[in-house]
Amino acid sequence: MEFQSCFDIIGPIMVGPSSSHTAGVVSIGRFIYELLDGCPEEANIIFYDSFAETYQGHGTDKALLGGLLGMDTDDSRIKHSIELASEQGLHYTFELEDHCSYFEHPNTTIVTARHGDQVVKVGGASLGGGLSKVFMIDGEMADIRLSTSDDFSVIAKNYHEQKMSKVLVGEL
Amino acid sequence: MDIQSMQELIEACEQEQTTIGEMMLMMEAEKSGRDKETIISMMEERLIKMKEAIDSGKEDASAAPSGISGGDAVKMSDYERSGKPLTGNYISQAMTFSLATSESNARMGVIVATPTAGAAGILPGVLFSLHKNDGTPYKELVMGLFTASMLGYVIANRSFISGAAGGCQAEVGSATAMAAGTIVELKGGTPKQVVHATAIAMKSLLGLVCDPVAGLVEVPCIKRNVIGTSIAFAAADLALAGVESRIPCDEVIEAMYKIGKEMPRTLRETALGGLAMTETGKKVKEELFCRKI
Repeated sequence: MEFQSCFDIIGPIMVGPSSSHTAGVVSIGRFIYELLDGCPEEANIIFYDSFAETYQGHGTDKALLGGLLGMDTDDSRIKHSIELASEQGLHYTFELEDHCSYFEHPNTTIVTARHGDQVVKVGGASLGGGLSKVFMIDGEMADIRLSTSDDFSVIAKNYHEQKMSKVLVGEL
Repeated sequence: MDIQSMQELIEACEQEQTTIGEMMLMMEAEKSGRDKETIISMMEERLIKMKEAIDSGKEDASAAPSGISGGDAVKMSDYERSGKPLTGNYISQAMTFSLATSESNARMGVIVATPTAGAAGILPGVLFSLHKNDGTPYKELVMGLFTASMLGYVIANRSFISGAAGGCQAEVGSATAMAAGTIVELKGGTPKQVVHATAIAMKSLLGLVCDPVAGLVEVPCIKRNVIGTSIAFAAADLALAGVESRIPCDEVIEAMYKIGKEMPRTLRETALGGLAMTETGKKVKEELFCRKI
């Protein structure tokens, strides 16, 4: 039961052309932006399978960069995000691969991003209709659902708090 | 409360003496903790965005950045206003609205995914055609969006709604099925009739592959949205006439899932098969991306 709300079906409100290859990817980028608490200076982006084959037509590259720059799915600046990335000092590289061995879905990406001295490596899958899922963070498997009706800053904060509480257990 | 199948949905509606749209609204309020007024106004916002996409798309004859789509909504609108369409007002106007929405989508304009962006033209097409032809008020169209989302919710959780996972049957197929059921509910059909319309529409699109030329959501996606509106009206008329789907809707959805699982990767939104690999399809891709296939 990945779809939880009527707004997962009717929505998101978004710029085209694809809910899975554009909107869902904006969300993955935006979650990373929240996780780093700001726009990264460096990002390495791997697109797998269907993303790798059709990213140009769907604007998947623009969508991911837009999310990393802090945009939402309905931000009309997404189509200019390649120029905006260079203006804002976001250096990025793209790699294309056939198949992601960490997660079984045709629309997957793994992004390694650095903001200041903080580095995160996030695996995300776009499940369709604009709904996404983060399946891996920093090498550990995760299961975080990203719906555009959610507040990603709260989700990122919860993740950080949970991670802290995992570390801060037991006696020294 | 959580609805997991069409059968469960019909039973719940019959027991509560309520419509499918109302059932979705109740379920959303319960699950999200938001009050009904807030949920309704969020849905109204989506209806407004749909109307804006139609309004701008209907007047815009410009091509998409790719150059392979655009301008057809204006053509269809002129033709439909001439009073000549063979398909009648309901379908021909739905076709115009659907074209307008899907062309806006291709221009990276703002649209509402219903359930996906690739299939975003169908539901607004039929809803605003109902409004124009029989005066269905906007308030009822908003309730129609709840009906559609309930149907899509069951389909999405039992199968899939993305072309990469299950082919175009999962996108245009699901959207058309949702639209067919929604028409029936807005025209006063019972929940059972709504679900039959959903099943009939989905059956008509089973096996449809996702083969976008150059990976763009344009060819053949836009015209499949347009034709989807006519299938939705035809399926709705059948159900309103009392015609039933011999295969229960839940089993149709299961068949869609199994067909999608068996569909080769080349026909699931990779642009490596079907229309994408026709002579013209390959040429378009080469010209656009200067990349040999």
